[in-house]
Amino acid sequence: MIRLLGARLVQIAVTMAVLSFAMFLLIGLMPGDPIDLAIAGDPRLTAEDAARLRALHGLDQPLLARYAAWAGALLEGRFGHSRLFAQPVADIILPALGSTLVLLGAALAVAATLGIGLGLLAAARPRLAPLVDAIAILGQSAPSFWLGILLIILFAVTLGWLPAGGTSETGGLDRLRFLLLPVVTLAIANLAAYARHSASAVGLALREPWVTAARARGNAEARVLLRHALPNAAVPILQVAALDAGALVGGALITETLFARPGMGKLIYDAVMGNDTNLALIALLLVALVTMLATLAADLAQRALDPRLRDA
Amino acid sequence: MGWKIRRGLAEVVNVAACSRSLVIVGMVAAAPALAQQREQLTIGITQYPATLHPNIESMAAKSYVLGFTRRPLTVYDQDWRLTCLGCETLPSLENGLAERETTPDGKDGIRVTWRLREDWRWGDGTPVSAEDLLFAWRAGRDFSTGFGGSEFYRTAYEAIVVDPRTITLRFDRVTFEYASAGDWQPLPAHIERSRWEQEPRSYRTRSAYETEPTNPGLWNGPYRVASVQPGAGITLERNDAWNGPAPAFRRIAVRTVENTAALEAQLLAGQLDMIAGELGLPLDQAAALERRARNRFRVHYKPGLIYEHLDVNHDTPMLADRRLRQALILSLDRAQIVQRLFGGRQPVAHTNVNPLDWVHDNDVRQWPFDLARAGAVLDEAGWRMAPDGIRRNEAGERLTIELMTTAGNRSREAVQQVVQGMWRQAGIEARIRNEPPRVLFGETLSKRRFTGAVMFAWISAPESVPRTTLHSDEIPRPERNWSGQNYTGFRNAEVDALLQAIPIELDREKRRALWHRLQAIYAEELPAIPLWFRADAHVWPTWLDGVRPTGHLAPSSLWAEEWRVR
Amino acid sequence: MRLALGVALLLLLALAALGAPLVESWLGHDPFAPDLFKRHEPASAEHPLGTDDLGRDLLLRLLHGARISLAVGLVTALAATTLGTLIGLLAAWRGGALDAALMRLADGMLALPALPVLVVLAAADTGRIGLPRGEPASDIIRIVAILTVFGWVGVARLARAAALSVLARDYVRAARALGASEARVLLRHVLPNVAGPVAVATALAVAGAILAESTLSFLGLGIAPPAASWGNMLANAQDLVFSAPWAAVWPGLAILLAVAGCTLVADGIRR
Repeated sequence: MIRLLGARLVQIAVTMAVLSFAMFLLIGLMPGDPIDLAIAGDPRLTAEDAARLRALHGLDQPLLARYAAWAGALLEGRFGHSRLFAQPVADIILPALGSTLVLLGAALAVAATLGIGLGLLAAARPRLAPLVDAIAILGQSAPSFWLGILLIILFAVTLGWLPAGGTSETGGLDRLRFLLLPVVTLAIANLAAYARHSASAVGLALREPWVTAARARGNAEARVLLRHALPNAAVPILQVAALDAGALVGGALITETLFARPGMGKLIYDAVMGNDTNLALIALLLVALVTMLATLAADLAQRALDPRLRDA
Repeated sequence: MGWKIRRGLAEVVNVAACSRSLVIVGMVAAAPALAQQREQLTIGITQYPATLHPNIESMAAKSYVLGFTRRPLTVYDQDWRLTCLGCETLPSLENGLAERETTPDGKDGIRVTWRLREDWRWGDGTPVSAEDLLFAWRAGRDFSTGFGGSEFYRTAYEAIVVDPRTITLRFDRVTFEYASAGDWQPLPAHIERSRWEQEPRSYRTRSAYETEPTNPGLWNGPYRVASVQPGAGITLERNDAWNGPAPAFRRIAVRTVENTAALEAQLLAGQLDMIAGELGLPLDQAAALERRARNRFRVHYKPGLIYEHLDVNHDTPMLADRRLRQALILSLDRAQIVQRLFGGRQPVAHTNVNPLDWVHDNDVRQWPFDLARAGAVLDEAGWRMAPDGIRRNEAGERLTIELMTTAGNRSREAVQQVVQGMWRQAGIEARIRNEPPRVLFGETLSKRRFTGAVMFAWISAPESVPRTTLHSDEIPRPERNWSGQNYTGFRNAEVDALLQAIPIELDREKRRALWHRLQAIYAEELPAIPLWFRADAHVWPTWLDGVRPTGHLAPSSLWAEEWRVR
Repeated sequence: MRLALGVALLLLLALAALGAPLVESWLGHDPFAPDLFKRHEPASAEHPLGTDDLGRDLLLRLLHGARISLAVGLVTALAATTLGTLIGLLAAWRGGALDAALMRLADGMLALPALPVLVVLAAADTGRIGLPRGEPASDIIRIVAILTVFGWVGVARLARAAALSVLARDYVRAARALGASEARVLLRHVLPNVAGPVAVATALAVAGAILAESTLSFLGLGIAPPAASWGNMLANAQDLVFSAPWAAVWPGLAILLAVAGCTLVADGIRR
């Protein structure tokens, strides 16, 4: 177990190093350095200004030298400043990461709860299975920004029950109201996998002899479902949750844009578009790191839950 | 089914917009407008100000927020005239605050004196003084500081503090704009000077505007920054040290919503009171909103100094022919586009000079839509109609022009497709190729890597001399670090001479004549194809009065103390 | 049942896409020529679904959009599946260091937030690496290429897992023992057994690509005008969604149906 953990951590470190170089190159390939953009935006910048600003931001160095300098500083724990926001990168990323984790955590929880609920329903009442299927498939099939706009029109503009976006200014429970629509938008797209996996795992379990035995002992059907059949769905659901993490950050970009919530998706997008290489890279790598650690955690949890995997 | 959905949506939207609006506003906690007797005004804009330092990076969202919280010395007002905001009297040769002189190295120079408004104070009570201006001048002149444009500081070679409220600058160049202090504004020396002196190179990231933006001492306008929600918005509170007329609202919340559909939704849901036109809804979206929610919102359309045009590359052989450029404009029914797409609210441009600008020549040559004449001009230039409807020249080349604009800008992409359709009528094929703004502006335009026409806009101050876009020295070239904005590659000796002469001609009537000549050449030579001047759509609640947009770079927030609840 | 329903849905959409020119000649207007006098017209006999913000027939644009959206979906799925299957088979067959390297690469790709990277790729200057810049048809190629970069990963993992289980079976060992060439083993024994999971992955990849195209359009990086795709029609309609909702409803529904069709097919094959 410990050896496995060590090996996986080394793999993660190597992957991060390769990723950082690949992303640095990619962003370097994007046309127009920050100074070109500044010149286009400000007619008063002269040729001398351009040279001066380029040297000031270290952009007159070749790409590889810039990567070496950047990676060296990063390894020494110096995250540097964001060019765009003129602030330490950590000060910008941490609040955004917090906001995104709240959004994703809530979306994951809602998707899993709703999905498992639907899955249980389908397994327990096979006649309802097609309906559950239809809900799951439609939820998965709607483009998320379209769904988000429809939800905003219905719940914020027409009914006036929920805010159309933004963040709470009073804090406390009020935050939940602002969280609801974006969370639901994200969750609807992702609940299908949970519904499908829990339905099939629970369906299989219900046919097992020990479930029949539990029923024969006079256990209530609900208890049979929740206590005996459901735990069998835990492993596949963990797998789905781990795989979802990366995709969810992409989804977060859309929900964050539509609901005007600052977060990682939006931050990375703005940093890339605003040519803020340092911020974009560190944010991207951080998300990759969090995702890989989540996958690792899910794998370990899976091993703990499923004795068959323990020796493998 | 389509019918049902459409009606359903239209109806519910109307209900929300009219009878139920009070209920909705009451129910949404983030709509404090009514609940708190309109102590707060919540404004939606489409951009977040990345930085709040007045001299670093120019950005519309920043200048909008700074309009509430800082005052420049001088600014162009709503009537496009230069006025004093931070100074007492506008310097002029007549009142003696400006004096012509000879510089130490024998050039024509001028010394200009600004006297600060009485009792003008920073938010912490420290008086705004000549020292603050002196510091700003020194920081701007030290080119390692990383301020944007340095032209002003290069020409202002000496600063003299006369008394705590008076400062004189000596310039080695005399222009008609000598009274304008431009971006040279007081910076709070009592907070910023030590940070700057420590190391100018990294001043940018250590400035209090970045590290402690809620420090009241940074702000000298009617409001100060009270809190910052990164990426989401900035909340302003009344500045107690402000000695001008008291503003009506205790608090102003500026919220960023980049997606305009979401921005409109937040307005309709009552979370926002108004949408600033400087960074607001596209014109047709605002017009549709006005039709549906007339009883809740007023929409004010302000045509401005935003010049939408097509830059054409003069180094492409076919476009080097003036007749071809004339055919391009003759075959465009710009009046129709403006009428149909923008409700007639954007004036058609004849040159790059706005009809509202005092130097505009009303008799300048115009190019009304005339398909027959466009055809004749093209025939004469050797482009004959082929059976497939696209013209060809003697050599058999097709008349194909690459037509670019910013990808993702829905309004421009719509216009672009209409332009394509209209040119087709004249036998000109337009091939559309769009790029994201950072690619288009950061590379394709600025390094002149386009071959045909690019649709985009210039925004400027009133009577701004188009030197960087028209002078032949300003054609971007590698040896000049690609600076300059004459992307078309237009070269005209007389225009070059006019662009030299206009800034230094102080006599208004003589200058007007020069401007007229410049417009005449522009209309004849068509360095770029003029389209129209864009209008901003300002959406205000019916109860708000006194917002007066300028239509140019100066944001309406500079006069926020005049905003009133009806 | 699901398979039938899914196939029926997709066939219907494919027929609609193929029938676009027919409907066009029947209705008799050009879906690419703007008509400023007919903006936002309601549904009528002449325009069965009304017109868009430039006065073009919505139904015809929807049908032409089907061609591009489905093409993007199919081509991306085929490219991603082919690449993914090859890599998966190679990893399973060679094993060892190559397997480890390929799978770590896959893990890395999965860990990256795809959308921001897609944005980087979509905005990257293809001219610098020698590809043509901004030819109209290259728009589709560009989108297919960047979606494939991420699409192969899932397929490769599936194919590898399936291939590994087949390679460990007794009959494969027997075939090898009897002197069957490696190529024959892979083609005759492994590939057919991998086909099932790969078909599922392909169907899901089509769905993913159609959704991804609409998302890129939302960010302004999708198919350029005047070509119509469901994604760019939807993205263009969002500004005026309050005053002209039907222009957003139809392409949204089309995407919904196409993606649901693919999901049904995948579910159907899986059973």
